[in-house]
Amino acid sequence: MTTPPRHDIALFFEHQFGTSPRLLEGVLGSAVLSPAVDDADLYFEYTVREHYSIEDGIVKKAGQDVSQGVGARIVAGERTGFAFTEEFDPKALTRAVESARRIADKSGNSAPVSVSRPGRPASDLYPVTDLTLDRPVPEKIAVLETLDRLARAENSKVVQVMASLASEIKTIQIVRKDGTIVADRIPLTRINISVIVQEGDNRQTGTYGWGGRTDFGGLVTSEKLSHAAREAVRQALVNLSARPCPSGTMNVVLGPGWPGILLHEAIGHGLEGDFNRKGTSAFSGRLGERVASPLCTIIDDGTIPGRRGSLNVDDEGTPTQRTVLIENGILRGYLQDRQNARLMGAKSTGNGRRESYAHPVMPRMTNTVMLAGESDPGEILSSLERGIYAVNFGGGQVDITSGKFVFSMSEAYYVENGRILYPVKGATLIGNGPEVLTKVRMVGNDMALDTGVGTCGKDGQSVPVGVGLPTLRVDGITVGGTH
Amino acid sequence: MKTAIRDFDSGREAVSHILEAARRAGATSADALYVWTDEENVTVRKGTLEKIQASQSQGLGIRVFVDHAQSSISTRDLSRSHIDELVARAVAMARHTAADPYAGLPDELLAPAADPETLFPPETEIPTREALFERAQLAEEAALRYDPRVTNSEGADSARSQARIVFGNSLGFLEGYRKSSYSLSCSVIATEGDSMERDYWYVVGPLWDVTKNPEAVGTKAALRTVSRLHARRIPTGSFPVLFDPETARSLIGHFAGAISGSSLYRNATYLKDREGTPVMSEKVTLREDPFIPGGLGSRPFDGEGLPTRKKTIVDRGRLTTYLFDTYSARKLGRHSTGNAVRSLSDGPGVGVSNLIVTPGTKSLEDLVAGLSEGLLVTELIGFGVNTVTGDYSRGAFGYWIKNGTITHPVSEVTIAGTLDELYRGIVEVGSDLEIRSSINTPSLLVEGLRIAGE
Repeated sequence: MTTPPRHDIALFFEHQFGTSPRLLEGVLGSAVLSPAVDDADLYFEYTVREHYSIEDGIVKKAGQDVSQGVGARIVAGERTGFAFTEEFDPKALTRAVESARRIADKSGNSAPVSVSRPGRPASDLYPVTDLTLDRPVPEKIAVLETLDRLARAENSKVVQVMASLASEIKTIQIVRKDGTIVADRIPLTRINISVIVQEGDNRQTGTYGWGGRTDFGGLVTSEKLSHAAREAVRQALVNLSARPCPSGTMNVVLGPGWPGILLHEAIGHGLEGDFNRKGTSAFSGRLGERVASPLCTIIDDGTIPGRRGSLNVDDEGTPTQRTVLIENGILRGYLQDRQNARLMGAKSTGNGRRESYAHPVMPRMTNTVMLAGESDPGEILSSLERGIYAVNFGGGQVDITSGKFVFSMSEAYYVENGRILYPVKGATLIGNGPEVLTKVRMVGNDMALDTGVGTCGKDGQSVPVGVGLPTLRVDGITVGGTH
Repeated sequence: MKTAIRDFDSGREAVSHILEAARRAGATSADALYVWTDEENVTVRKGTLEKIQASQSQGLGIRVFVDHAQSSISTRDLSRSHIDELVARAVAMARHTAADPYAGLPDELLAPAADPETLFPPETEIPTREALFERAQLAEEAALRYDPRVTNSEGADSARSQARIVFGNSLGFLEGYRKSSYSLSCSVIATEGDSMERDYWYVVGPLWDVTKNPEAVGTKAALRTVSRLHARRIPTGSFPVLFDPETARSLIGHFAGAISGSSLYRNATYLKDREGTPVMSEKVTLREDPFIPGGLGSRPFDGEGLPTRKKTIVDRGRLTTYLFDTYSARKLGRHSTGNAVRSLSDGPGVGVSNLIVTPGTKSLEDLVAGLSEGLLVTELIGFGVNTVTGDYSRGAFGYWIKNGTITHPVSEVTIAGTLDELYRGIVEVGSDLEIRSSINTPSLLVEGLRIAGE
């Protein structure tokens, strides 16, 4: 049972749990269609996860997780009722709907709903065969053993290697108020390696991770494993010779790829529909205004095949799309789910997402990307008189209302007169979202997506996301160093 | 929704069944955690109901050993046939993992250190949805009328959670306890001119009584928010930093991570080989107490079924002990300190129950008054903490202190240093200790940190 059958994704829940259209008509029709109800849905989820980890040279942890349930949601105006159940029988489903609907509807009037057969999304962004979960256990264990061996062979200063492989297959079925049903099967794999190197008392870390919604064969190749081990060790060794980072306001060049979390924190969250409907974002009411240098065009694109942040449909069944957020510096759009779109007189942009059946939908990012500019990356770096060249980052965070955001460098260099002088220790960068992109001086022609490792947290919910950035020069960011 | 509070029977039954199924499937030993929760969460925004979330949920986390190889599983489906199949798969998976001589259940079967019945206050009445709504509404109302500059709201949230936890292993351990938690929080927006700021306040505790003063929660949220209006940067430099109890708590949390046995055997802590030596200033004494009645981290036994115990972790600055679960203890030739933590999908790992920093004699006001210049920090953001290297750099919000008084709010600055400098640079411990979380500390005044601003 653990791995769901490959065929008939659309009929998975009916076959597995007996949730026929007739049963769903009964559950929905009993409750939802009073005039006060604007929207309603049932979100069925069955997820199988697997994880392996290695440390001290042996794979000693292997685990599986089965997660299943149905979230029921009733929306009326600004109000949302939400309940979930982990059982699929009609009584449990009806109880969940009843619990959720009491927020919206006191009249008890209801109208029949006609539920159609489940349909598949029009787009097909990820494979359904040769997924990580389909491979025999020893193959996955071998991935981690290889990473361990390669990293230790890379340098004798490596004193610890920790690597992990986590994979899931999520099968969902969204039953909407109008009786349509959308079903999808969504794979996700992430592989991570983290090393510790030591030289005397100096201990440093380096990490590399990759993944996406792709098949096992596409993710695991000997080239990728070598690259991952080499990168993690290289980063750790660089940090062994890192000096204290300077502090204060200075000019910064960001490398391509993962440093795109700048966009995610500084811009993306502030453009989510819920904050803007409520007027609590630093970007509220600023559509059409200049919020960035004319060099900047930023999109959120949930339709890039195989990417960690991509989805055929969002968790409300709306097809994902490419949404222009900022065009040549002008604020053009927000990220919407159905409820916030309706309340703002807009259309859902396919950004209604949830962590699981046990969590309500919110507007969330997918893959947030700045399009390539025209500058040569080498020229951008050589233009820096004095400042920081930040190649890689850890996590970030933002205060939506004041717009203040931070993100932490994990590999960075001090630069003078366009020349890299020495690596500096990890430090936090802090800035103001609505301001920071107005300080963009140069945009590189080398846009790169990240390697597929991002997880975004909002209101206690985690969802996988992606970012992309070309080499970027930003003047005047506060660098939180120690000297 | 009618709330059904379950007794332990279903959990004990499930755990016993799993241990038996594991034995039948060929496991040489096993343990299992059962968690059942009943939760309700009501959000009020601008005076009206915005969101209700209700759920009952149960889950199992299972670990099986085949000699010294292990694997784990978790599931939400408690049907016997499903469990039997999963356990068989787990045993098969364990046979693929490498034998690890240190892996396994604890050596002994020991009784819990406290009677669960006295550890957690009896539940009298579970509040209704309407009662949750009312307190959230009162909190938000108080915040919105506190000051005309409070112009918007992210809402007030009132929540309850009832949980039942049962843990058993094939040594014969089978015990359970119940745990409740109630919380009330309020977050508002203040505006003036082109300045817009948000802040919040909350209370959380084991009894519904903790939320009995919703107006106080709202008022404090509003006060904190309007105080932040027109926050600005300060010049870059080295100044004393005064962490209020909310932000000081995070410092103690990082410390607990750095002294865990799992960080130690991985070579992943700057505090390696520091037991018995000064790791904080001599002003600091840090204790662990798993037996605070109803405490958020209280527990009669740890995540492996071993009795929890009180201990002094830092005695006037000196590290008296690292923290171990069975695995990290075995690897390092030590004994478990009863600090295993376990969740449904993960663990065991090393963690803490309740931590308390012994308070000093000066109030926060006294500490502010004693500074000629410095930064009072009330919120920290970002992830710039590395316990492997001990490097620390985070974004901060707070207030600038000049000549013993607060002059203006501060934002868009960072504070940085090393954790070692930070803990050893604690020059004052405040008197303002309040037990309102699993990690509890008064304000801490630290010298030697670098502030980056203009």
